[in-house]
Amino acid sequence: MSLPPGSDVAIPVVAVLAAFDVWCLVDLARASQARHLPKWAWAVAICVWGPWGGLVYLILGKDRTAASVPGTAPMAEGAGIAASGQLLARRVPADPVVIEVDQLTKRFGPVTAVDALSFTVRPGQVTGFLGPNGAGKTTTMRVILGLDTPTSGRALVGGRRYQEIIRPLHVVGSLLDATAVHGGRTAWFHLLSIAQSNGIGRRRVVQVLEATGLAAVAGRRVGEFSLGMKQRLGIAAALLADPAVLIFDEPVNGLDAAGVHWIRQLFQSMAAEGRTVMVSSHLMSEVALTADHLIIIGRGRLLAASPTDRFISGARQDVLVRSPRAGELAGLLTARGAAIRPEGDGGLAVTGLDAPAIGDLAAGHGIAVHELVPRHASLEQAYLDLTDDSTDYRAGTSAPERTTAS
Amino acid sequence: MTAPQIAAAGPAVPSRLVRAGDVLAFEWTKLRSVRSNYVTLIVAAMATIGSTALVAHAVASAPTPPQSGPVTALSLSFLGYAEYAVIPVSVLAVLQFTSEYTTGLISTTFCAVPRRWAVLAGKAAVTGGAALVAGEVLGFASFFLTQAMLSGRHRGVSLAQPGVPGAVLAGGFVLCACALTALSLGAIIRHTPGAIAATLAAIYGLAALCLVLPSPWKDDLGRLTMPFAAAQVVAPHPQPGLLSPGLSMLALVGWPAAALLAAGLVITRRDA
Repeated sequence: MSLPPGSDVAIPVVAVLAAFDVWCLVDLARASQARHLPKWAWAVAICVWGPWGGLVYLILGKDRTAASVPGTAPMAEGAGIAASGQLLARRVPADPVVIEVDQLTKRFGPVTAVDALSFTVRPGQVTGFLGPNGAGKTTTMRVILGLDTPTSGRALVGGRRYQEIIRPLHVVGSLLDATAVHGGRTAWFHLLSIAQSNGIGRRRVVQVLEATGLAAVAGRRVGEFSLGMKQRLGIAAALLADPAVLIFDEPVNGLDAAGVHWIRQLFQSMAAEGRTVMVSSHLMSEVALTADHLIIIGRGRLLAASPTDRFISGARQDVLVRSPRAGELAGLLTARGAAIRPEGDGGLAVTGLDAPAIGDLAAGHGIAVHELVPRHASLEQAYLDLTDDSTDYRAGTSAPERTTAS
Repeated sequence: MTAPQIAAAGPAVPSRLVRAGDVLAFEWTKLRSVRSNYVTLIVAAMATIGSTALVAHAVASAPTPPQSGPVTALSLSFLGYAEYAVIPVSVLAVLQFTSEYTTGLISTTFCAVPRRWAVLAGKAAVTGGAALVAGEVLGFASFFLTQAMLSGRHRGVSLAQPGVPGAVLAGGFVLCACALTALSLGAIIRHTPGAIAATLAAIYGLAALCLVLPSPWKDDLGRLTMPFAAAQVVAPHPQPGLLSPGLSMLALVGWPAAALLAAGLVITRRDA
């Protein structure tokens, strides 16, 4: 539906005039000495109000064709998941959209939740947004989505602030909290209302319900849903307008193994289509398999931003050495500039020299070596080391034992 | 020479009118898809009609009319209405915002429609419109019921008498004014119990407070409160001791307008 230019001004004026007209009618009828409202008053009222019905029909009647009845689709609960890949790939975004966070600071009273944070989330890859609890992940996402106003700095989606995007669900689909739903509303009406807010048709609502495996329960009230079903409902809402950007806050919580597998595949296929996918988590293990790029924050500050494979190769590595003459060997290694840390069971954790150099050195001095193992820190361990100093809440009083090496 | 066809990137930008229609449809679907809203309206209707019938019956069966004249006969129609319709509908209006704030659904709403003035306007239009329709239906129903019971005793008034249709119409608007005030307070306070308490204080408490003020203040301020302004607009003639009909109507429009303005300023400045 297109309107001539200038109608933006004309319509509020007509609305104000109509409201005034009603007020006049009420006042006239109330104060009138006539026994009935005069005929001309009714004529004016009908002429002013008659066309509005047609207008409302035009506005509300669009996208109402071919609406299928919810809940009647013959769909087994798991069947939709398998079909999701094709169903959701309705359109590959013409313009890749980048999320830019620039010197973002957010304070809540004396607490600084996000502190001069800058990073970029690029299209075509899954970006894992990691940090311990309380690191500022959710706050950052809320600022990106225009829900919280930053104290300073800015967050842009496709070069614009979120609030400036018209019909934003067509650009950004998000899921912050899957339990944030009205328990008295059915899944169908929950999704329908969100679809209507951005001019999305009913057919698409049916489509995402089927794709997320919720078609069979569309007519049930959301309050009866399990956490996993609510997560799927939230994902369905995020996918409604087939957006170029997807932002998920802890999406794996509450999903069963099949659901976790499904959502990981979903992220990867979305990224492969050229979309921008940003997924937060406080656990490395959740995103290590999925994310192509990692952004790690702690206490609101950026700790690391790099591709996942480079993140792990940049992590510390050492060599475990066991020898009957460990003390002697340690002295030699230290003289060559290596750092030594004795392990609990008599081994030496050596950093600064690689395994061949250590082996050659030992052989040159006739020292027997029983074990010589190059070790890489796991992604998980690298993440723990990085965020260790910035963890707000930790069990126990001492730092966690570093068993692998240091 | 033909230039290659370039597909438009993304959907065309819809006009402001279409977007306003989107927000209205959004809020209307949310309002109509919660069962408790229907229950609330049915309770309001039954309590109003029931109490109206009881009052009318008591007056009709009294041996002598306590006070004759069209004023009494008309205001009787609104006795049941004043409390039994206003309270449930106000609670319904309060919940439009507080239920979203307490569940967290407000984030979804503001993500879908980041322009928060538009969200407020959409909710006000839908809730206010529903309250207006309910108010007019209940107002006319109460009126006809009361007059039907009184007319047997020749104590009723007719819709044909001067000022009566306007008074009944305005009576329906009172419910809309209360609902919009309640909606705004719900947006400002965010918590359901607090917002309901504030709404009842704004609608009834202020008027009660004005009754115990010292003399010049008592009348000057009391006339501006919603119950007294409502008492004027539902009467067929200007009432002694109250503001003029026009000013009373202005007061009835002013309370919800001020509340909506305050709510808009608060929700656009506060983190969701």
